[in-house]
Amino acid sequence: MTHAADTTAKPDLQPDVSDRPKSELDPGWLVVCWNDPVNYMDYVTHVFQVVFGWPRQKAEFHMLQVHRQGRSVLTRETLEKAEHYVHQLQRYNLHATLERAE
Amino acid sequence: MRLLHADADRLTFHLSAAERALLLELVERYPSVPPAHLRQRAVAADDPEAAEVQRLLDEALAEQRASTRQQIRQLLLSNPNTFQRRSDGWALHLRPEEFETLLQVLNDVRIGSWIALGCPDPLPDRLPSDLERARHAATMEVAGWLEMSLLLEARRDAAS
Repeated sequence: MTHAADTTAKPDLQPDVSDRPKSELDPGWLVVCWNDPVNYMDYVTHVFQVVFGWPRQKAEFHMLQVHRQGRSVLTRETLEKAEHYVHQLQRYNLHATLERAE
Repeated sequence: MRLLHADADRLTFHLSAAERALLLELVERYPSVPPAHLRQRAVAADDPEAAEVQRLLDEALAEQRASTRQQIRQLLLSNPNTFQRRSDGWALHLRPEEFETLLQVLNDVRIGSWIALGCPDPLPDRLPSDLERARHAATMEVAGWLEMSLLLEARRDAAS
């Protein structure tokens, strides 16, 4: 049994977010790569290109950020995707971690 | 080592007999990085999901390393199509995903030797006098040279 809609009801002032993309609701997780003294810079650039499908210039930017600043946030994703990326980076022996995005 | 041919499906490298022998010797040493070194904390310990995420990542990595060991041995030590003898050495045929696996393996052996040396920073620029340490330093050097040769040759082709 269903009731007919009450057309006189006041509109709900709360924003309806049910159909928004998940990224707007959940700040997600950051994939972070950390500097280490052993991996070659060219190797790290190559790994970023392969794992994320980035062009060389973008991969090199993040590699240099890792090298100079000690870390680089590579992407923001759902937990599942972020885990996938961290696993891929670990396969290549890069030091990668997950952080909750603020 | 030099790249002979590359297309979307296959890369072919020329290796001398010595380069092939070194490559096979290094592949036998995979995995070299100790599991304890790999179990780096991937999520802040106080995060409610830390334990579960860490367990999943550790399991996935352990499974992947076992699988990679099997794949690389099959590829380089058993598959008769991977290496073809030439008059001036050997041709090494790799599919793109096999190329990536080989890079991972060489890098693992390199880092495993670095860990065995006590994780020196900066990297050593001369062979240690101790024989065992000299062996690790030489392994690290050769694995790094092969890794970078593969990478630079493949990139040179992509840029041309």
